[in-house]
Amino acid sequence: MTTQPTFTQKLSALFAETWLRMLNISRYPGQLAMEIIIPVIFASMPMLLGRATGGAEAAANFQANTGTANYVAFLLIGSNVFTLVSSAFWHIAYWLRFEQETGTLEAIYLTPTSSLTLASGVAVYSLIRGLTSAIASYLIGCLVFRVNPLEGNVLLALAFIAVGLIPLYGMTFIFGAVVLKVKESNALISLMQWVVSFLMGIFFPIAVLPPVVRLIALAFPPTWITNGVRSALLGVGFFFKEWYFDMAVLWGFVLFVPLFSFWVFNRVEMNVKRNEGMGQF
Amino acid sequence: MRETSNDTLTGSTAWLSALAAMTHKELLIMLRYPVELVASFGQVFLIVIVLTLAGLIFAKGGVQAKDSTGTAGLVTYGFILFMFVSDTLWTIGYNVRREQKQGTLEQLYLSPASKFASLLSRVVVTITWTGALCIGSAIVMSLLIGRLPFNNLPLGAYILIMSLFGTFGVGFAFAALTLRVRESGQTLANAFQFAFMVLCAPFFPFSGLPDWLRAVSKLIPLSYCVDAFRSTLMGYPDGFPELAPLGVELMIVTAFGLLMPLLGYWLYRREENRARTMGSLSEY
Repeated sequence: MTTQPTFTQKLSALFAETWLRMLNISRYPGQLAMEIIIPVIFASMPMLLGRATGGAEAAANFQANTGTANYVAFLLIGSNVFTLVSSAFWHIAYWLRFEQETGTLEAIYLTPTSSLTLASGVAVYSLIRGLTSAIASYLIGCLVFRVNPLEGNVLLALAFIAVGLIPLYGMTFIFGAVVLKVKESNALISLMQWVVSFLMGIFFPIAVLPPVVRLIALAFPPTWITNGVRSALLGVGFFFKEWYFDMAVLWGFVLFVPLFSFWVFNRVEMNVKRNEGMGQF
Repeated sequence: MRETSNDTLTGSTAWLSALAAMTHKELLIMLRYPVELVASFGQVFLIVIVLTLAGLIFAKGGVQAKDSTGTAGLVTYGFILFMFVSDTLWTIGYNVRREQKQGTLEQLYLSPASKFASLLSRVVVTITWTGALCIGSAIVMSLLIGRLPFNNLPLGAYILIMSLFGTFGVGFAFAALTLRVRESGQTLANAFQFAFMVLCAPFFPFSGLPDWLRAVSKLIPLSYCVDAFRSTLMGYPDGFPELAPLGVELMIVTAFGLLMPLLGYWLYRREENRARTMGSLSEY
């Protein structure tokens, strides 16, 4: 007879999963370095394009279109939130895919530890890795392009990130469900990553999007994180004028998105278990 | 058992037959993942539109700017070369790596089939698909933002073909590197891609680069490919080509297209022989 694990045991399993992932990635320092460099290079593309096409008026035009002349920080915030979003999607999805491919997913589902506990362990790992990379990348980017990384309300910006990460990681369970169902889903996740980056306004304010697309964009938590951080640091303007209204919307996501995602994930999981799909890949 | 004569294993017919069979195999693998095909199109389109919108934010009037098609053309044509370079650079090395991981590389090298055809087949399908993606994204961009500048097609095609030959060579050289560094090949490919994105300026004019970086760009033949290709298709607007007069750029692009495949393939054969001698061909 299997006894249910206690809370302490669950916590222990969760951190064991986190530790395992950390140990694994520590063996690939090149990947970690690239994670810090990529957002800076990525943000530099529109910067260089804009400077060249906008000429001497680039910053003024940028301010007229976005509400801030500090395009370096604006673009770096976009590319680093994108890093956070990508990390979240990929780490959860890749964890499931990796276990599928190595043939250990079936075994995991036979242990008394729930998949949610282990996935939470991966989420903690992803959070540490994503946040460290994003913050380091933002600071290095600001240093390279010589702008002050700490202007504006830094604490409020961090609060937007902290609250926004909860629904963001909630969303990743939907991607986990896609991996369980579709199996070879790398291309789909890759596409979704770009859809979200487009919708959250990675390098532009979502005001430039057509009204229908803008409405869809507002249904994504990353859009609120990006704009919240930009508004707190650069004063580009909150969607509802005041920060607490925008924060309230994010809290709304906190209450709804994780529950909805877990429900979707559980349903797919049950379905896959019943239909002999767990060990297949 | 029927004996196979040497004639059926060597010569141009055998080479073409091997290339066709290998290309067919690659095509078959690709067609088995239709979701991937559709997703890759969506992804390409999204990247182009994200960068174009980002560029337009710096223009007077934002996305409604009068010269929005110029920015879109600059990004789209740069992106086309970026796609081809990324594909050829990584596809060849990735496939060699895949054969290594699957344990079929050793067997492949025991067969009398042409090694060059084996390498070439990896890119034929990808290049065809990338070409289709690029045309598709250019059409969608034209529909969304307005007609892209589209001039001097024959010369543009010549520059593209020469650039492709050159990137094949870079791809062969990279496959050689993959044989040597194995799993680190992926990280190196990413590093090369990002170096290309900055130094060869596919998404922005070279005038956006600081002087010292532009000096580095001028040392890379691919920079001239990007500059000549987009300047030609955009009809040589003021200040384009940026790195050198067109005649000089054409000479560099031609030399790159003719010499780089030879150099890359030589490097690959050298590394392959080393791997065979050391017995590391099937190690991964």
